[in-house]
Amino acid sequence: MSFVEFRFLWFFLLVFIVYWAMRNNTARKVWLLLCSYAFYAAWNWKFTFLVLGSTTVDYIVGQMLGYSESPAWRRFWIATSVCVNLGVLAFFKYFNFFISSASGFLAWFGLPASVNTLNIILPVGISFYTFHSMSYTIDVYRRKQRPISNFVDLSLFVSFFPPLVAGPIVRAVYFLPQLVSAKKFSNVDVRGAVMLFLAGFIKKACIADGVAPTVDRYFAHPANFTATSAWIGVLFYAIQIYCDFSGYTDMAIAAARLLGYQLPNNFQFPYFARNVSDFWRRWHISLSSWLRDYLYIPIGGNRGSRGFAYRNVMITMLLGGLWHGAAWTFVIWGALHGTALLIHREWIRLTEDLKWAARAMRWLAWPITIYAICVAWIFFRAHDLSSAGTTLKQFILFQGGGNEHFHRWLLLVIGALVLIHWLNSRRWFAESWRHWPAPIFAAAYGCTFAVVLLFVPPHYTPFIYFQF
Amino acid sequence: MPVREPVSKVHVEPPASSKPTSGKTVIRALTNAAIGGTAFLITCVGLRAILPFPEIDGGVSQKFRFFAAHKDEFDTLFIGSSRVYFQISPAIFDRVTRESGMPTHSFNFGIGGMYLPETAYLLEQILNLKPRNLRWVFIEYDELQTKWSPENQTSRRALYWADWKRVSFLLRKLTGAGTEPLWLPNPAKLRDIMLRQNDEKSTRRLLAFYAAQFEKNYTNVAKAGDVLDYFLSRDTKERSASYLGAAGDGYVTRPNRMSPSQAAAYERGLAAAMAQTDEHALSPYAVEAYRQCAREVRNIGAAPIFLITPSTTQINVAPESTGLAGVLMAFNDPRTYPSLFRSSVRRDGQHLTKSGADEFTRTVAANFVELARAGGIK
Repeated sequence: MSFVEFRFLWFFLLVFIVYWAMRNNTARKVWLLLCSYAFYAAWNWKFTFLVLGSTTVDYIVGQMLGYSESPAWRRFWIATSVCVNLGVLAFFKYFNFFISSASGFLAWFGLPASVNTLNIILPVGISFYTFHSMSYTIDVYRRKQRPISNFVDLSLFVSFFPPLVAGPIVRAVYFLPQLVSAKKFSNVDVRGAVMLFLAGFIKKACIADGVAPTVDRYFAHPANFTATSAWIGVLFYAIQIYCDFSGYTDMAIAAARLLGYQLPNNFQFPYFARNVSDFWRRWHISLSSWLRDYLYIPIGGNRGSRGFAYRNVMITMLLGGLWHGAAWTFVIWGALHGTALLIHREWIRLTEDLKWAARAMRWLAWPITIYAICVAWIFFRAHDLSSAGTTLKQFILFQGGGNEHFHRWLLLVIGALVLIHWLNSRRWFAESWRHWPAPIFAAAYGCTFAVVLLFVPPHYTPFIYFQF
Repeated sequence: MPVREPVSKVHVEPPASSKPTSGKTVIRALTNAAIGGTAFLITCVGLRAILPFPEIDGGVSQKFRFFAAHKDEFDTLFIGSSRVYFQISPAIFDRVTRESGMPTHSFNFGIGGMYLPETAYLLEQILNLKPRNLRWVFIEYDELQTKWSPENQTSRRALYWADWKRVSFLLRKLTGAGTEPLWLPNPAKLRDIMLRQNDEKSTRRLLAFYAAQFEKNYTNVAKAGDVLDYFLSRDTKERSASYLGAAGDGYVTRPNRMSPSQAAAYERGLAAAMAQTDEHALSPYAVEAYRQCAREVRNIGAAPIFLITPSTTQINVAPESTGLAGVLMAFNDPRTYPSLFRSSVRRDGQHLTKSGADEFTRTVAANFVELARAGGIK
């Protein structure tokens, strides 16, 4: 069940009405928990046991961390939690990748090995709820979060359906305090939430799914296309992945808000970043801050020598790439971003006192950044390294081998979308609707939604981040 | 990633008033939700009324536009699947009827892969054009299809006909609900569907699919493209000819014949089908759908004629016309029409070659004239 399907509307209406009809906070939480499991079971009911198992392990680990004062035992319990969570993730997501990579590596040394990969189905959203769950035990270990005795609360935190399958990644310290008291409907910003849902719906269902066929056509056979079409294909993909993911996030945040819960923001106009560091402060914020706090800083962060800090950046980015998918293309995507971050740091260090550099960057920073991000997206989207290489040739060297081409007016579509996005960042579509009388707002909203549906393609493209 | 500033600040509750939720708040919220919902539905209905006929692949739009432009020129219409599209030549039909002293001007509205319920929807749209001179409508007679191949489920072709009249038939058939106007799913069948027992393994998925198609259709999902197509993609002569045929009467020929091995396989299949003695009638859902079609045809003053084509899959369909409110012409018996089942005139079990189609058309026309003269078509 996806947020852009009609059945989600009926599902959410049921959840919403029953939830607010209940008075008791515990009953509401139990109801939300049941609905969250039902939401997840709509994909594959068998994997609900995986979510339950992960929650149970972390609940026990949390309790044990609360009881034990001995540092050795505490280390043992946190290691248990990390190993179980990452072990499950590694098995479902990375088993085949590691096996086939190891086999390829041995073959490269002239030691061909016959290996069998397993027919493993990747549970939807496993990377997201694993990180939700791990944030709880790590924070309890660090004594930033008290272990909670209420299993329903922890289960709801791990499985709360809006961010369950594609984020944003919610931390225990952010969400668990929200479960303490009963929500009041009069405190819910319904108007803001439904507008956010509409914005997310437009991004995903109209824009991302609208450009998806062009992107799919290009990346299926990049060698068949001209260089201009490669540019269109890559830029469309940049638009698709942003609208797809941020659209999902907007809808998740909006759905949670309608139930009285807050989720962290995940995007802040990332394509207007003026350098790669800035990009990572705006793109998938919940993941980048999670990796910063639970990986980069624990392995040393900026402490120590420059080389040591750079090593930490690269480790973080490589693992960040691998988090997205079990393929070398994702690892290279992470490596490219890591390299870009290091280049940016070096540039800042070397040009600190150079005024001409600051002046030049005033004009060049944005195009260079967006170009670098698009180059990295090529690896993110390409089926394999060889087709990524083909696209790179077209995108960087303008060497197009094929004759197929897209209409050039698609470049105008890109221009129009960038303009709308820019106007939005300047708050052109800001909140004038907040001042409308409620019945007028409701009527306008209904009409607008009906018109928006005209622009939804008949085919549904699954959310890109579901596979992560 | 290694960013310095803390990005996600813990923010537990939104800044808001601590007013308790009063009955007034709930009533206001419900009223506004009702206003929003009503505005949504009214807009959907309004848009539906003004949007052009959708741009559908497979010649549907081309044929519909052509027929709309020439609707008063035709008095006879053939509608159905490829078994009508590639097998009924209006030119031959009109020649036979003219020679028999009962001249007609016919149009072939066959579409590849079109079965009930799509046929019924398209027929309704055609009749809504109010063709003044239409007197006879030949409708292919076949079972109500509930299955759609997954690869075609996302096409606009699978969506444009999904109104309540059509979808309710499918839902009734899938849930064994009967053909009464007020219906409820059969409890035993519903249990099997929920538990995926017996033959109901894919029924739940189909029910969800058709319900979604109905919702999408009524809320005009994806129809902005139709507006664009309406203004931009006017039919070229070549494109129209590919669907309307060389004579512009909707008939397209398919000349290829079977290879010897295919012919042998066909003969075996034919013998096996003929060996089965049990005839089966169409499901009550299909019959009810055809009865509706017949009513609509009669409403514009024309006569419905149902047609069972010579196909190996229809050999055992009983030519039972009770309750159909129309004449049934059956050509599915190889013993009565051996010349239509010879492997030399067949492309496959379902379709005839050009020469077979010519012969089939002549047979249909001769039967039609005979029946009309005998006063059998009312």
